[in-house]
Amino acid sequence: MEPITGRALILACSAIGAGLAMIAGIGPGIGQGYAAGKGAEGVGRQPEAQADIVRTMLLGAAVAETTGIYGLIIALILLFANPLIGLL
Amino acid sequence: MDNANFIVRFLTWLMTFDRKALILAASAIGAGFAMIAGIGPGVGQGYAAGKGAEAVSINPKASKQATMVMLLGAAVAETSGILALVVALILLFGNPLVTQQGAVLILAASAIGAGLSMIAGIGPGIGQGYAAGKGTEATGRRPQYQSNVVRAMFLGQAVAQTTGIYALIISLVLMFANPLVRLL
Repeated sequence: MEPITGRALILACSAIGAGLAMIAGIGPGIGQGYAAGKGAEGVGRQPEAQADIVRTMLLGAAVAETTGIYGLIIALILLFANPLIGLL
Repeated sequence: MDNANFIVRFLTWLMTFDRKALILAASAIGAGFAMIAGIGPGVGQGYAAGKGAEAVSINPKASKQATMVMLLGAAVAETSGILALVVALILLFGNPLVTQQGAVLILAASAIGAGLSMIAGIGPGIGQGYAAGKGTEATGRRPQYQSNVVRAMFLGQAVAQTTGIYALIISLVLMFANPLVRLL
């Protein structure tokens, strides 16, 4: 069998870590969905203010997206620009 | 290797198995992890269904419109569950990692990572289901504005889907275009 090198262990753990990082996507998904729901509710109550309601909703959703992007960045770094093997 | 710690001893024990067996075992775990995403659509669509029942009870005349919006929203909320199912089925029936060249440990860990990544689908599932519920509620209250409500609902749901798509991308990269194997 091929022996385990430290490099292989780091890369293997990087694969699992990239997957774990993406679990962060739960949060923005729930939060933006709540915003979408309230947006639909608001448009239903006040259809003439649709443009304003949607603008505020998208603004808030963009802020809620940030942590999901952070998770994606860490996963992409682990996959494509792994800094850990350089430290070995 | 006499004074090796628990992790190294565990990994050395793992390496005594056949290469294919190790990757397939990890794929089984990964497929299981991926399906945890099913929590999301379950909770979200349940909320939408509850709001549908509520809307029909408040305004029985708009029952058709409310039910239609509920089903539309619930269909969108289903996507994360379907994406997780696709990843799990790929790991089970079209496993791309078994035939891949490279270190077995990294390929096995990639199978687990691909599954873990899809757990993110919980979020879009719950969130889009909530949006579907609120859309149903609003349609039940004022059926004449159904198209406006559905438009706002779909727009918000599309934004909520993004993190699920990110997770799918990472999962597919781990399975089909693994950059870690080449680093060894």
